[in-house]
Amino acid sequence: MSIADAFASFPRAPGELAAVVPPTELVLAPGDVEETAAILETASDLRARVLVWGGGTHQGIGHRVEPDVVISTAALDRIVAWEPDDLTLVVEGGVTVAAVEAMLAERGQTAALPEWGGPATVGGVVAAAISGYRRHRYGPTRDRLLEATIVTGDGRVVRGGGRVVKNVTGYDIPRLVAGSFGSLGVIVSVCFKLWPLAERRATVTVDDAERALQTLFRPVAVLETRDGVSVYLAGTEAEVQSEAERVDGVATEGFAWPDPPQGETVWSLRVPPALVSEGIGRLPADWVFVAEHGVGHLRCAGRFDAAAVAELRGWAEEAGGALVLEHAEDQSVYERLDPWGTPPSGMALQRRLMAAFDPAHILAPGRLPGGR
Amino acid sequence: MTLQTDLVGLLGPERVLSSDLDRFLYGKDAGVYRGEVTVVALPETTDEVQEIVRIAARHDVPVIPRGAGTGLAGGAVPLGGGVIVATTRMNQIFEIDAANRCAWVGPGVINLDLSRAAAPYGLHFAPDPSSQSACTIGGNVANNSGGPHCLAEGSTVNHVLGLEVVLADGEVLVTGGKAPDPVGLDLRGIIVGSEGTLGIVTKALVRLTPNPPDVRTLLITFDSVEDAAATVSGIIAAGLVPAALEMMDQRMTEAVENWLHAGLPTDAAAILLAEVTGDTPAVEAEADVIRQVARGHRAREIRVARDEAERTLLWKGRKSAFGAVAQAAPDYYLHDTVVPRTKLVETMREVYEIGERYGLTMMNVFHAGDGNLHPLMMFDASEPGALDRVHAAADELVELCVRNGGVLSGEHGIGKEKRDLMHLMFTPVDLDAQARLKEVFDPDGRFNPEKILPAGSRCFDFGRPVPEGAWI
Repeated sequence: MSIADAFASFPRAPGELAAVVPPTELVLAPGDVEETAAILETASDLRARVLVWGGGTHQGIGHRVEPDVVISTAALDRIVAWEPDDLTLVVEGGVTVAAVEAMLAERGQTAALPEWGGPATVGGVVAAAISGYRRHRYGPTRDRLLEATIVTGDGRVVRGGGRVVKNVTGYDIPRLVAGSFGSLGVIVSVCFKLWPLAERRATVTVDDAERALQTLFRPVAVLETRDGVSVYLAGTEAEVQSEAERVDGVATEGFAWPDPPQGETVWSLRVPPALVSEGIGRLPADWVFVAEHGVGHLRCAGRFDAAAVAELRGWAEEAGGALVLEHAEDQSVYERLDPWGTPPSGMALQRRLMAAFDPAHILAPGRLPGGR
Repeated sequence: MTLQTDLVGLLGPERVLSSDLDRFLYGKDAGVYRGEVTVVALPETTDEVQEIVRIAARHDVPVIPRGAGTGLAGGAVPLGGGVIVATTRMNQIFEIDAANRCAWVGPGVINLDLSRAAAPYGLHFAPDPSSQSACTIGGNVANNSGGPHCLAEGSTVNHVLGLEVVLADGEVLVTGGKAPDPVGLDLRGIIVGSEGTLGIVTKALVRLTPNPPDVRTLLITFDSVEDAAATVSGIIAAGLVPAALEMMDQRMTEAVENWLHAGLPTDAAAILLAEVTGDTPAVEAEADVIRQVARGHRAREIRVARDEAERTLLWKGRKSAFGAVAQAAPDYYLHDTVVPRTKLVETMREVYEIGERYGLTMMNVFHAGDGNLHPLMMFDASEPGALDRVHAAADELVELCVRNGGVLSGEHGIGKEKRDLMHLMFTPVDLDAQARLKEVFDPDGRFNPEKILPAGSRCFDFGRPVPEGAWI
């Protein structure tokens, strides 16, 4: 029996969805936890390689995987529980960032998911541990993840964490899932801690990012691009006005977020926060970037230059950071260098952890650092 | 060579404790459980911790990491003998990196000492348990400790950037660092809150938080606990996340006022301590919101701390509450559970009912803004059966909170105390997954055995043989 035959009884993803999923024609779209578990159990039996697919937004990250089956989370798209008065939200993994934030905004709340997220799914954002620009104020995505339910590689339904804002009850499996890139399980649902949206929001253009960071108590973001530095402020009318005056900049109403950088290759440069300005200076002159001051993250993009990338990566790793490939138009880039850079210490432990969740090693095999 | 002589050979006689008195003292944490200690080791370096772990393995005895012993869930209590590895001498602050707002510290550094050391840079370590003048950073990491100011700042896990850990095989793992988002699986989050069951943290890189430019601390008085609880829910629902939002009931207020003399209203059914931080316009606006909500719930009096001295006094009252209760009864049992904030009013009502049913005086002082309850049950341990009654009431409290959508522990951990209640929150499959995780780190079950997970958690074998090397 072929792999396709073995999965014949499971729902296929609709045609238009399959069109955005390139690596295999066999794209399944389970509608609930049980169906997801049944698919993974079958896949483990067959040792069929599985790639989990949300919006496809972060599929450029990591070693390339050649899956036998893609599991799309498109049909796992329900809002499970929203408690506005408790500032918590439980959603299924396939719900898009745009849908979540639009819904929350109606009651003046936010999950602080990536501002450019749009078609990305919450499951994908969690799996890739992607944080938005507002991280300086609200912390990274993994800090706002309270609970996660996953289906492991061998079809077990495992829930960790809880739906309250403070919790130390057992091992924090949700945090391990954040950034696991689909190697531990399919993220079926997650619970986020929410934040109230401030009454007034403003974007202020300033000259000096470092000075703004020192002057302001806790700005939402201080971002720098080739166009200059912008400070993002949120709070009461009086607060935002006084902060804008103190950084001596030109304020405009609302948040004007920069578009994420695009190019032949896209990279995530991670360094200690104090090195952001130096990092900007070290980027190839024709690359574009969004630098998050105070956070230590720069997303940058441009033509691929192996020597320049090696030099930048060497500097970042020397400083305790990393230069991670997030997207390359030319797939051969993934062969010419390690998309993650130098693997972290404790790789044997990492592999054993993956085996505990995915004994048959079918989930995105080889995608994480040290995978090839 | 005996275990004792091996350890003395490594650490010298001064740093290996095995007298009857020492073994008695280290047989307990700040909770109610006592265990049997074989020997206590006091390492000063990572190398020594590695060697202790190897010695323990050679003699096949458990290793129980311990900080200051302020834990309440029995996390540091040895359940089957073993080497207590007390990290209190590993109390060096290696680096305060003000530019990157972080510090590398030894696990034995006392929480408050770190904030004091960071003060010249305008920074502090945000988690502030009531025991902060005694508890260690290593203990905070082990229990994912909280504190009043975790409402806005998050618990310890949100403030740990990197860890150096000695694993079961004696090897050192360094995970995380000053740069955000380390590549690979994020092991930091698994180790934080693991209560010494996965390894021994020998260094921690912690985030330091800027001291706020301005602060307002409000003391709000209510004639009913329900109005106070409803005010907490109302403040959160109004879209405000204050820096802290603490509640104290009448019995607790009386106990605190009796020795502190801060002018706390002892005739009030409940008081709320609310704090907002930030720029002056922000704290003024937020204090106004709190006043409005409180008045809407029949607040009797709203007092704003006039100066730092008064603010300090109010916080002293809050954070020393557990000491103050000694006058009310010889012993107390402090509980720690969490409910969704929207369930505070009904949960509080039932908490008092449980106290009445078991004939136990219930006192409450807790992190209301997080929904993190801390009912204190007063009792006299010398009275036969009293502790059993307390345990029965405690189990019922946990069941109540889980039924209301909450969890077993917010910041004290599971330890021994709630290990056998884990099934209230998790399915056998969930627990099995956690047991597998423990097994990955500690295949021989050497680190702090019989904690967190109930016996028999590792029960599922799906019987799917994995070919050798399939996942390598």
